[in-house]
Amino acid sequence: MISFTSFPQPQDAYKRPEIEEDEDMEVDEDFMENGTLKLAWPGESLTSSHAYMRGHGTYVDNEEVIASVAGIVERVNKLITVRPVRTRYNPEVGDLVIGRITEVQARRWKVEANSRQDAVLMLSSVNLPGGVQRRKLESDELQMRTFFEEGDLLVAEVQAFFGDGTMSLHTRSLSYGKLRNGQLVTVPPNLIRRLKSHFISLPCGVDLILGLNGYIWISKHVKESDREGEEGFDAEGVYSNKNDAIDDSTRTAISQVANIISVLASHAVPLNDTVLLEAYEWSVEQEGGPKALLQDDVGDALVVTVASRS
Amino acid sequence: MALTSTSVSKAEKSYIQAGILANPPSRSDGRSLHDFRAIALETGVAPLANGSARLNIGRNPHDGTGGTEVLAAVKLEVENVEEGTGGVDGGRIICNVSCDVKDSSPSAYPNLSSGALDDLQHDYTDVINQTLSHPSLHPSNLGILPRKKSWLLSLDIVILADAGNVYDALFMAARAALWDTKVPRTRSIEYKAKKSVTTAKNASGGAGDMDVDEDTSSGFDTRKIAGAIDFELPDYWDEGEVLEGRDRWPVCVSMNMVLPTHFLDASPQEEASTSIRVLLMFSFLSPNQTTLQGMRMSGPGEIKLSGLKELIEEGEKYAKEIYSALTSKLKDEDIRRNQKARDRFVNRI
Repeated sequence: MISFTSFPQPQDAYKRPEIEEDEDMEVDEDFMENGTLKLAWPGESLTSSHAYMRGHGTYVDNEEVIASVAGIVERVNKLITVRPVRTRYNPEVGDLVIGRITEVQARRWKVEANSRQDAVLMLSSVNLPGGVQRRKLESDELQMRTFFEEGDLLVAEVQAFFGDGTMSLHTRSLSYGKLRNGQLVTVPPNLIRRLKSHFISLPCGVDLILGLNGYIWISKHVKESDREGEEGFDAEGVYSNKNDAIDDSTRTAISQVANIISVLASHAVPLNDTVLLEAYEWSVEQEGGPKALLQDDVGDALVVTVASRS
Repeated sequence: MALTSTSVSKAEKSYIQAGILANPPSRSDGRSLHDFRAIALETGVAPLANGSARLNIGRNPHDGTGGTEVLAAVKLEVENVEEGTGGVDGGRIICNVSCDVKDSSPSAYPNLSSGALDDLQHDYTDVINQTLSHPSLHPSNLGILPRKKSWLLSLDIVILADAGNVYDALFMAARAALWDTKVPRTRSIEYKAKKSVTTAKNASGGAGDMDVDEDTSSGFDTRKIAGAIDFELPDYWDEGEVLEGRDRWPVCVSMNMVLPTHFLDASPQEEASTSIRVLLMFSFLSPNQTTLQGMRMSGPGEIKLSGLKELIEEGEKYAKEIYSALTSKLKDEDIRRNQKARDRFVNRI
């Protein structure tokens, strides 16, 4: 099946926002004093650098504070910052992230995690087979690829930062480690808020891991008791590349949740467990299965429903 | 053919493959095996080109992000047909595909090194060029003056973003841009030396008298005049005539194989999970008269020769669907643009 659509046509009568010539710019003492929402584009002059200080997303040139990113202007006392509309992930210690191994190096892995720089996962920060408290050996260094290899997805926690701002990850918990039995969806990182738990189980037999970096892992539900490494530590299980048998209804549910997430993300709806549950319940009542969500009107209806219920 | 930068883990790969082989098959976004994502198409996007098109496969319907985006444009240049100039009597076609415009962002493959990018562009260019500049598709109206001047048709395609299925997008965009191409009308002119006066004129220092061919002012069929030595562009109400045989330009079907089955319009993750891909290029003289214009296989996998025949038959079926959907969209676009031009004419004050 194939269908063609059109690009949205730009309106011919494009209305240019009227730029007021503000003569008081230089001595603009009450810049944004009344709490209005202001959007800035890169290179836009915001105010005088004599009266205000430059914050993130701004720079000073020719005695003016100028926005360096497109976003919302914020002011705290005399500090002007611009919060960007679209940004990469800003890591903080303790954040749960999902990343993909890009490189295997000496005693460490490089991990792509939607941040400005690749993250680092040290060999000493992963659980090694044979026991949680085991010391790492030289033989472990030689067989690093049996734990994680290029392309592998993993869930980890931000442990610390290096001097250059690179984040260091760790997977020293039974809930962290290699990901399998599902698929990855990416959303803008600002749509994932810090929640009580980033591991969500939907009643349709689907588990979700919401990485704060905007990567979301959707997988088949694994029972608490069946998790690997409950008794002893089973390297075969934790570092396995093999998927379990996944039945058709679970597969459909996974696709359904994946499409719901991309619809919500395109409408800039912040994701959490209640929103996802509402959206899933609404969408299974609709006809057409996961595919229907790719249509714009169905997506709009979904967002309207979610907004009205929450 | 080089693989692009998408990497998938072994678990993702086997998840995708198992989904395609499942009964009923399931894909990560819920499409069935032979579903295409929605394709957005617009022609006439580059005002200075003789024909152009913009195409996007899999664009998010709400915020317009994502998807494989391709821009194609056709430029016609006059070329001398002489030894050593490279020109060919009757015109020629040169296609070029690039993945990044110099010094501009965003580019489709930000992670690739410049060497890998060159390889990739070369691969794309090769397939497009060899298929589209084949003599069997050559339009007959690219000549201007026999054995003197002809049109050089350059088709340039830029890949702005790659979200899978680039080859199908390239061929659809190429077809749309070539469909949209208008060849300027030309009228040949010749020098008429007036025999009796020539000597006298030359003696008085005047050159041969240049004269426009008045009796062929219709603008049509004036190219084959034997004595013509140059041409001019008559002032006419439209941009020219369409390329002859514009219905013949081929469409491409990429069949991604997960043996024993196959699927269409793969996402980057799905492309990374298949070991072999078969590209089939079909041209349609009429809906019932199909020719296979080209065929490529890529990837490390292998398929049996006996399976190939069946595959081509299946491919022809898909190509027919693509062809008819694309053609009706192109006709819609023609109508839309005529309407727009008319509106602009009415509202010209």
